[in-house]
Amino acid sequence: MDKLNVLVCDDDTAIVDALEIYLKQEDYGVVKAYTGRQALKALSEQKIHLVLLDIMMPELDGLLTTIKIREELNVPIIILSAKSEDTDKITGLNFGADDYVTKPFNPLELMARVRSQMRRYTALGSMAANNSILRTGGLELDPEAKELRVDGEAIKLTATEYGIMLFLMKNMGHVFSTEQIYEQVWNEPSYSAENTVPVHIRRIREKIEINPREPKYLKVVWGIGYKIEKY
Amino acid sequence: MDTKLKSIKYSAWAKTAAFIVVWLGIMCAVGSVVFLLNFHETVNSKSYYDTHQFKNEFSTLVGDAVEYNVKLKSEANIKSSGDTEETINKKLQRYYQIKKKLSKSVNFAYYFKNTNTGETVTNIKAGAEDALALIQKQPSLVYYNQGTFDSNNLFSIDVMQMLEGAQYEIYAAVIEPLKPGDVFYDAFMSYSKNKALSNNATIILVLATILTIAAFIYLVMVTGRREPEGEINLSFIDRLYTDVYSMLVFLAAIISIAIAAQISYSSPVDIIIIALVFGIDMLIGLTYVLSMIRQIKSGQLIRNTLIYKIFAVCFSGKTFKKWTLLLLLGYGAINGVLFALAANSGGAGFFIFLFLIVPFNIAAVYFAAKALLSLSQIMEAAKEISVGNLDYALDNTKVAVAFASFAKDIQSIQGGLKKAVAEAIKGERMKTELITNVSHDLKTPLTSVINYVDLLKQEDLNNEKACQYLNILEEKSARLKQLIEDLIEASKASSGNLAVSVEKVDLHELVMQACGEYEEKFQKAELDVHITADKTFIAADGKHMWRIVENLLSNTVKYSLSRTRVYINVAKTGSCGVLIVKNISANPLDIPPEQLTERFVRGDLARTTEGAGLGLSIAQSLTSLQGGRFKVETDGDLFKVTVEMPLWKEE
Repeated sequence: MDKLNVLVCDDDTAIVDALEIYLKQEDYGVVKAYTGRQALKALSEQKIHLVLLDIMMPELDGLLTTIKIREELNVPIIILSAKSEDTDKITGLNFGADDYVTKPFNPLELMARVRSQMRRYTALGSMAANNSILRTGGLELDPEAKELRVDGEAIKLTATEYGIMLFLMKNMGHVFSTEQIYEQVWNEPSYSAENTVPVHIRRIREKIEINPREPKYLKVVWGIGYKIEKY
Repeated sequence: MDTKLKSIKYSAWAKTAAFIVVWLGIMCAVGSVVFLLNFHETVNSKSYYDTHQFKNEFSTLVGDAVEYNVKLKSEANIKSSGDTEETINKKLQRYYQIKKKLSKSVNFAYYFKNTNTGETVTNIKAGAEDALALIQKQPSLVYYNQGTFDSNNLFSIDVMQMLEGAQYEIYAAVIEPLKPGDVFYDAFMSYSKNKALSNNATIILVLATILTIAAFIYLVMVTGRREPEGEINLSFIDRLYTDVYSMLVFLAAIISIAIAAQISYSSPVDIIIIALVFGIDMLIGLTYVLSMIRQIKSGQLIRNTLIYKIFAVCFSGKTFKKWTLLLLLGYGAINGVLFALAANSGGAGFFIFLFLIVPFNIAAVYFAAKALLSLSQIMEAAKEISVGNLDYALDNTKVAVAFASFAKDIQSIQGGLKKAVAEAIKGERMKTELITNVSHDLKTPLTSVINYVDLLKQEDLNNEKACQYLNILEEKSARLKQLIEDLIEASKASSGNLAVSVEKVDLHELVMQACGEYEEKFQKAELDVHITADKTFIAADGKHMWRIVENLLSNTVKYSLSRTRVYINVAKTGSCGVLIVKNISANPLDIPPEQLTERFVRGDLARTTEGAGLGLSIAQSLTSLQGGRFKVETDGDLFKVTVEMPLWKEE
């Protein structure tokens, strides 16, 4: 099988070069571009499996480039930007990007995100649908196998953690307070002054999330509870 | 020499002296005048014999002498007259009375000659011829002959009747020089004294008048001035309102007149009293006149009156605008005229009342109410502006003319305030934008730094020191990243440039979640966390609340003394949900608590630990952004943060 190609597009050559090194370490093929136009050109010439795109670039900026790409291609796009506002992230995702990583990024985290997108793009789409499997984005919970998978990779969970995930995945998109989760999972009334549930949830996040501080699936709704994001 | 003279001229001594001169002069002059008027006869007469007093006395005496010598003649004559006993007794009594009186009047001399008998009677001891010669020499001589008499009215009708039919030549006079012993002598002595005094009085009058006028002119010239052409210095008495002062002086004059009217002028005490009253009056009067002169000189005679002051206050525009006052006066005047008309026109008065007074007053009340309404509108606008509603629109067209300028002033204040606020907001936003932009520009190169440090670490350096340095680089670049993020957040939070979506947040749940996040960190820092919490629903933005709690917990982890307890308490007090975090600081807290929430201030001045010193500042800004209160207290090493948030209100 050919190497999977990643298009790296940023007007800062140092960043592009660094990313090239990291991606090559991950055994990806790298195509470099420094403007939006170059990126579009590269996409039309070669088979690209993932795009890393900066927003603030000359000629054609990242957001417009994303729109142009989405007109034709379904390739995963991860936006890399110094703009860290929530509004910037939302705009980027709404324009068709699959992920949004703010600069300065942790290289390891970025690679994890690249891998995650790559797996979903290349493998998950062809997977056979199993009705009993609970699924959101790259997260799957198989109640029969009692297994949790992220982007196809199985995650090791303790019994309590699995119980929590099962409850939350079953009620995807709903927010539950620590008390509710405790009562559902432990099957006994909760004692309010305990932070058992939050600690467990944090541990789960560390296992399933690329960046536990900015979770994609298991989200904290501060002062209200927790939920599994429905994608 | 000249200046010395001037300085004397304007000195207080000279003025006081002049004042005393004027006062004394007036007193003397008036005294003299009173004396001269009182003794005007003495003054006007050429000699004592001209005076009425003398003439009365003398004519009486002449009459007595005639009665004695011509009518009564002698005891024997009376007894032989053949009258009744009673009449005889009466006549005898009279005879002795006159005899006694004549003997007492030592200066009186007479010479009667019966032209028929040639018989003569005289009271002069010398011979008859000599006596006549002596009498004829006297200036006071009177002569009477049947039908002719040479002196003026000295003979009363009685005397004339007594002499009727008797042929007598009568000579009478006061013999000079006068001897002491009778009325004439006493009267003459007193006359001579008064005559001499009256001369002096005239001189005093003239001198006093001249002196007084001179001194007064001098006083008029110099009063109020300390130097020639100098400024007018007003004394304390000049501060009295002129009209009030005048009234007081007038009152004093009336009192004086009343006293003068009560006095009988009979005893010397009365004279002294009246002199005293007059002296005091003069003092008051002179002071008053001089004060008035000073007022005139300084040109404020009118301005210094109470009436003027009242008018000035009324018309200065501060209390009332001129026309407002005129309006009020006009209103009062018209009403007065209308009521007077109504009262004086009998039966028609009712119709005047009904068709003029009532509509007029209703109209007046209507316009007044309208004016007050616009005032209340303006007040409403001012209130709105004061509480921060700068866009409150005051409808100018509905404001009465009386308050139009007031409304305009309020609007211009509003405009100014609006501009200032807009500029402040603009400035703050520009600052935030600047920080955000600079941060973006910093982030791009920092990305490369972090990436290449990481790449460098993967290289086989084979050099222990290089690895050590690389670790420092990694640590510091991570810190730089955190700093930049905090900086953006701090600037946004403090400028209020953050969206706040308030929802029902359980502070207890949030604290539990946060503590769950920090569980491992607390363990690592060897901190024992004690949480006491009840369900407390507050109105807040969960994300911002998390940021606040996270900053507090991160501070606790960073700065707490290891192996100590951290107390976290959530409770309700009144209308607030309260979060209290208490911990023991590892380092002494040398900084006053109010400074700890300032940007870039950290508990340890050495700045060796991680953190930018923005944590508390961000937490405070976020708290106040959500309408809460943030308080930091220190007590020795005890560090206590209190966050108060409004409770959630179910609708």
